[in-house]
Amino acid sequence: MDITRRELISTIAKTGVPAAVAVSVGAPSLHAETENIPVPSAAVGLLYDASICIGCKACVSACAEANDTPADTRSDALHQAPNDLNDLTRNIIKLYKPEDGSISSFVKRQCMQCLDPACAAGCPFQALHKDPETGIVGWTAEQCIGCRYCTITCPYHVPRFQWQGYNPRVTKCELCSTRLEKGLRPGCTTVCPTGAVIFGPRTVLLDEAHQRIRKNPGRYYQERVYGERDNGGTQCLYLSRVPFEKLGLPELGVESVPAKTLRWQRRLYQYFALPALLYVGLVQVIRKSLKGHEHEAHEREKETGLRAQL
Amino acid sequence: MSTATINNPADTSGKTRWERAVPVYGFPVVNRTFIVLVGMTLLAFLLTAYRELAGLGPVSGMNDAYGWGIWKTFNVMVLTALGSGAFAVGIAAWVFRRKRLHALMRMALLTSFLAYACGLLLLGIDAGRPWNFYWIVFPWRWNFHSPLAEVAICMSIYAMIPLAVENIPPVLERLWYFDSRLRPGVERLERGLHKFFPWIIAAAYLLPGMHQSSLGALMLLAGERVHPLWQTPWLPLLYLGAATFMSFGCVAGTTMLCCVVWKRAMDMEVLDEAARITSWLIFGWLGFRLLDILFRGALGTAFHFDRFAGVFWLEMFTVAMGGWMLRRSLRTHETRYMFLGYVLSSLGGMVYRFSPTTLAFRPNPESLYFPSAIEVLVSLGFICMGIAGFLLIVKRFGILPAPLQEWHDMASYFRFRRPYIRWTGYFKYGYFGDNEETESD
Repeated sequence: MDITRRELISTIAKTGVPAAVAVSVGAPSLHAETENIPVPSAAVGLLYDASICIGCKACVSACAEANDTPADTRSDALHQAPNDLNDLTRNIIKLYKPEDGSISSFVKRQCMQCLDPACAAGCPFQALHKDPETGIVGWTAEQCIGCRYCTITCPYHVPRFQWQGYNPRVTKCELCSTRLEKGLRPGCTTVCPTGAVIFGPRTVLLDEAHQRIRKNPGRYYQERVYGERDNGGTQCLYLSRVPFEKLGLPELGVESVPAKTLRWQRRLYQYFALPALLYVGLVQVIRKSLKGHEHEAHEREKETGLRAQL
Repeated sequence: MSTATINNPADTSGKTRWERAVPVYGFPVVNRTFIVLVGMTLLAFLLTAYRELAGLGPVSGMNDAYGWGIWKTFNVMVLTALGSGAFAVGIAAWVFRRKRLHALMRMALLTSFLAYACGLLLLGIDAGRPWNFYWIVFPWRWNFHSPLAEVAICMSIYAMIPLAVENIPPVLERLWYFDSRLRPGVERLERGLHKFFPWIIAAAYLLPGMHQSSLGALMLLAGERVHPLWQTPWLPLLYLGAATFMSFGCVAGTTMLCCVVWKRAMDMEVLDEAARITSWLIFGWLGFRLLDILFRGALGTAFHFDRFAGVFWLEMFTVAMGGWMLRRSLRTHETRYMFLGYVLSSLGGMVYRFSPTTLAFRPNPESLYFPSAIEVLVSLGFICMGIAGFLLIVKRFGILPAPLQEWHDMASYFRFRRPYIRWTGYFKYGYFGDNEETESD
């Protein structure tokens, strides 16, 4: 009893038609969801102006102090001089210096607090979670399984995993959320001598950034605020005289990474409707197969005298 | 094989038909290979204990750029693809009613279970904070849109419920033969099991379909850091497709290998059917992959002289070569080409499944990842555990398909050749099928 054409068609119909229905039903509601990423009501962030940063790294040590983290002196056991973000470093100053002697620039790297964070989109048990009010992407130790998916998904390569010890943690800038609760500003913004990094509500920072661009025509790269629309928008904003890509801020387009890449994934699992319908279809088909198979097995049992193996 | 000719004249039609799953009898479980495998497993357990205390850094080559090492990218991504036999062969047998493939089902179910068990254990060891896995039982904590949550949840549910339940019949069968006093109970259990079978089998196809594709979706979020030859919106479907032909190769290839090692007859009808399906799966997959690359305009990068192009052509060549060998074996009926075809296509598929996370993953130009010795030993140790489990189980349970004759041979073997063997169970209160009347109780 090979499958006949009629049966093949009915099999496909039984499993495929519900699938098509579910996709078409689930699609419109999803479309609206990916179009506009809501900005949290009290979204706060940083504005970093690379053109006025002098690279003093005061923010790096202030960050460690504010977060009660020991200084990372692992490079020479003397200076706090990590060469990248790591499990003790949430904030770092780097230098972009092209060899042809054209304009160079410092860059401060820390979590961008994306409006639609890829790390939280991938985090299996919501250990990385975007606060609905302040929009700060925070990490909860009790929910983290240490899978390190965030280190793979983040387009800015920010979250870092602690490789030593039996109880590792994920380190990323959480915008000093505990300090904010006490009415203090994030550590890095309290010490900056030139005001290259300032803290405030996202809307205020955006106004400030646009004002600086207006006042200094031709000074900033593309007269653009990185993070206003990039990657669906971020809460930490950048101004720079050199291309953003040179500072490690990739051009990701206006659509956020999760919206761009997981669109179909989200559509297929919308309300779990499609898998559920597919499941019902499969049960119908298999029930019939099982009946035929059992019947044949028992016929064979009578022939051979050996107990049927199903 | 002499027993066969002595006790029952062999089937003279020249055609072997696999009709019954028969344990591999007459070979001791504990031999040199088995001891080596168990030794490797124990070593892996010891190293795992060290890893839990010392953290991931000291034992592995993983770093900030390559956050995932071979435990995830090989043992989970690659080996569960090889272990999707219960999914791919099962769908062909139960949904598309390729009835001959039922002969391979027990092999498929066992290899799947072992591969998934190995993968899940390593997923737990690889996790930095495994004690937090308990959130898996609280659905309101799940992140429904995360591919990794989908993989972790779906994979554990699949391996622990549908796949485990599907593997129960051989165990019940052994109990049934073990002691006639157990029979009423076993039969009651079997009846209950059969009532739920359609739901369980359907779940056993839906869940792997979901998580094998989600394994591909994992790397979608990595965006351009995965080389354009691999990064595509169709990654989930390609991952699923690779899993289907790789698992066919694993199931049929392993069965062929077992037949050679333990000198069993091969049913060429079943094997041809499997090879035909596999070859079409391979060519369909290859065609889809090439078309996808072509339409995304990434084909140019395949002709750059770099490691990515090398890996790409290696993968394409081995898979295509495997598919071609399978077609050839169907024409000329040479089993060695069939076996080689399975091996090559599965190897190519393994390279494909391994690439997006490791070989074709370029987080930044400075960083490199190469597994440390401990990583490799743990990874190997858990594979050895799977193989040792397989060797033990095929010798104790009816898993490997065989002609009907084999069953009668086994009965004779234990009754006359090695009557002192009691612990095999099957024959203690013997019911060999052909002498049901001789039973006293």
